[in-house]
Amino acid sequence: MASLPRLQREADPDAPVLIRLEGIGKDFPKVETAGRRVSTLLKLLVGAGELPHFRALDGIDLTLKRSESVGLIGGNGAGKSTLLKIVAGVVKPTRGSVQVNGRVSALLELGSGFHPDYTGRDNIFLAAALMGLTRAETRERVDEIIAFADIGSHIDDPLKHYSSGMVVRLGFAVASALRPEVLITDEVLAVGDESFQRKCIRWMERFLGDGGTLLFVSHSMYHVQTLCSRALWLEEGRARAFGDSFDVTQEYLAWHEQKQRAESPGAHVVPPSMPSIRKVWIGRADGEACEAFNQGEDVVVRGLAYSPDGRAPVILAGVVRADGSAVFGTHSNESGFEPVAVGDGLFSFQMILRSVPLVPGKYGFRSHALDPEGLRLFDTVETPFVVKGRSRDYGIVQLPHEWSAGTPLPRD
Amino acid sequence: MMRQARTAGAILFPWSHRWLLWSFTRREILDRYTGSLAGAAWALAHPLALLAIYAFVFTTVFRVQLPPGSSSVSYTAFVAVTLWPWLMFSDGVQRGMGAIQANAALIRKVAFPHRLVVFANVLSSFAVHALGFAVAMLTLRLLGEPLWLGRAPAVAFVLLTLLIGTLGVSAMLAAVQVLVRDVSQLVGVLLTLLFYATPVLYPVSLVPAGMRPWLRANPLTPLLERMREILINGSALAPGDLWMLVVAVAIFAAGLWVFERLSPFFEDFL
Repeated sequence: MASLPRLQREADPDAPVLIRLEGIGKDFPKVETAGRRVSTLLKLLVGAGELPHFRALDGIDLTLKRSESVGLIGGNGAGKSTLLKIVAGVVKPTRGSVQVNGRVSALLELGSGFHPDYTGRDNIFLAAALMGLTRAETRERVDEIIAFADIGSHIDDPLKHYSSGMVVRLGFAVASALRPEVLITDEVLAVGDESFQRKCIRWMERFLGDGGTLLFVSHSMYHVQTLCSRALWLEEGRARAFGDSFDVTQEYLAWHEQKQRAESPGAHVVPPSMPSIRKVWIGRADGEACEAFNQGEDVVVRGLAYSPDGRAPVILAGVVRADGSAVFGTHSNESGFEPVAVGDGLFSFQMILRSVPLVPGKYGFRSHALDPEGLRLFDTVETPFVVKGRSRDYGIVQLPHEWSAGTPLPRD
Repeated sequence: MMRQARTAGAILFPWSHRWLLWSFTRREILDRYTGSLAGAAWALAHPLALLAIYAFVFTTVFRVQLPPGSSSVSYTAFVAVTLWPWLMFSDGVQRGMGAIQANAALIRKVAFPHRLVVFANVLSSFAVHALGFAVAMLTLRLLGEPLWLGRAPAVAFVLLTLLIGTLGVSAMLAAVQVLVRDVSQLVGVLLTLLFYATPVLYPVSLVPAGMRPWLRANPLTPLLERMREILINGSALAPGDLWMLVVAVAIFAAGLWVFERLSPFFEDFL
C-alpha cells in the first residue's frame, strides 16, 4: 500500500452542512414465503402496516460539513455499506431523514455502470450519463478521463476483454472527472496496482486539499486516520462510538484485540492458600487514580500481595497489549526489591514506569504473585489503562529517534 | 426535499435525464442485436414469419371472408396494419417488465431514476418495431395494396397513444415483478390470450354482437381499430382520438404511481 501524508484537518465550524442524517434506521424486509411477498407488496402500496424485517441500521445521526471527512468503521455486517448506500440515494431509509446538498459522487463499486460488450470509450459516456453528466460535458472531459485511466489502446476494446484492474482504473477515472463536492467511497484506495494507487492518492490529496468532503468506509485504520478527521464506529447497525478518528480507531483496534484474547483460554482461579495479588491501583505520580495517560507521562502502580506463610512473595509485573502480548515485564527480585509486610500476610509494592513511551492505544498492567523463591507463578491480575496521543506511529513503543539529512551517502 | 421535488418533476418529463434515457435505449437496442449476424433484420423477420403463417392459415386453410365493404385490402394487409402495433405493445410490455431485474446490478449500486430502464426497454421495442412497421407498410403499398400512407401523422399519433399506455402498463408490472416473480409467467400467458381477444386477426364486426362490449372493454381494441380506419380507409384524426390519449395518460399515471411507490424498495428485494 502506498503511503500517505496526513491529509485530514478540522472542519471550519461555519462551513455549510453537506450531509445531514437524523435518526436513520433501515429495516430489510424478510420475504421467505410467496404469501409474504404478496402481503408485503400490498402493504408497501397502501403505505401502512408493520413488515417482518431485519434491522440493519438504527438511530444513526451524522453531519458532514464542507471539507470534513468521516470514516466509517466496524465489523462485517455492521451496516457500513448500507449507510453509505443511504447517503448515496441507492437505499431508502425506513426511519429518519437524509439531507444531501451538493454534488455527490458515490464509488460503491467501481465500474458497476459498465457494460461488457461496449468499448471503454462508450462506457465512459454511459457511466457519465448515470452520474448526471450531459453528453457535451462528457465530451469535454473524455480525454482527461482516458488519460487518467491510462489503459492505452484498450480504450477502444470491448470491456469484457479488460482485466479487473483496468475496469477499476476506468471507473475511478470517470468518477474523478465528475469533480464531486462529496465523495462517498468503499475501499477504493485498495484497488489497482501500485502506480495506479499512487495516482488515486494524489487525486485524493488534491480533492481534500481543495476542500472536498469525504465519507469513507474502510477496514484500514491507517487510511481512516490519514484521511478522516472523525470516525464513526458502527456495531450491529448502531453507532458504538463517534469522534476523533484517532480515538475511535484505537478503541476499535483495542476492542478487536480483546475479542481475540477472550477467545483464547482464560485465567485460572487461585486457591486462597497460595500467594496472590489482592489489589492493584494505577494512577499518576501526583497520587490521582487514573486509567488514561498521555504518551510520555509517568505511570504509578501500587499493589497489595498476599503470602500464606509470612514470607514476602516475588512480584512479576509489567505491561501487556490489549491482546495479551507482553510489552515488558520484570521480577521484583531482579531489582533486589522485596515487598514490604503490612500485616495479615499482606505485602505492599509500588512500581513507577518512567515517561511511558508506549504508542497510543489500550494496554494492561499485569501483576503476578510468585512464591518467595520466585519459581512458581500463582496469580494474575490485570488492570487496563489507555495511552492517549495524536501520532500515527506504528508498533508498541516509540523508540527515541531523530531525523536529519545526515552525511550524504556516496552515489554508486 | 429539493431532491424529491426534482424527482417529482422528472417523473412526467424526464428531460433532465434525457441523455441517460437515450443511453439506456441505445444500449438496449444494441444489446438485442450485437453478436447476431443478421442484426436488426431479425426485428423484421419475426413479424414477417408471423404474418406469413396467419396469412396461410386464414386465407388458404380457413378461407376467412372479411365482411364485404369492410376492407379494400387483402387479408394479409388487413392483419399487417395491426400486427406491428400489437407487437410494439406485447414486446414492449415483456421487455419493460423485466427491465428492473435485468439492471439489478446497476440499481443496487447507483442512484438514478429506476423508471428510466423500463422506459428505455419499452422505447427500444417501439423503435425497432416502428421501423419494421414502416418497411412493411411501404412494401405492401409497393405491392399494390391501397394503403393510405399519407396518413402517417395520424398513425404516429395513435402509436404515441399506444406508447404512453404501454409505458404505464410496463412500469406497473416491472415494479410488481420485483416483489412477486410469478408476474412475468402470468403476463406471458395473459398476453397470448389477449392477442386473440384483440381484433388483430379479425375485424370487430365478425364478433357476435353480444360479445362486442367485452371486446370494447379492451383498451387496445379502439386503438387498433383506429389504426385500420386510418391506414385502410384513409380516416383522418378525429376528436375521439383525444379520448384514447386521455385513457392512455390515465393508465400511464396509474402505472407510474405504483412504480414510484415501490421503486425505493427495489434494492431490498433484488
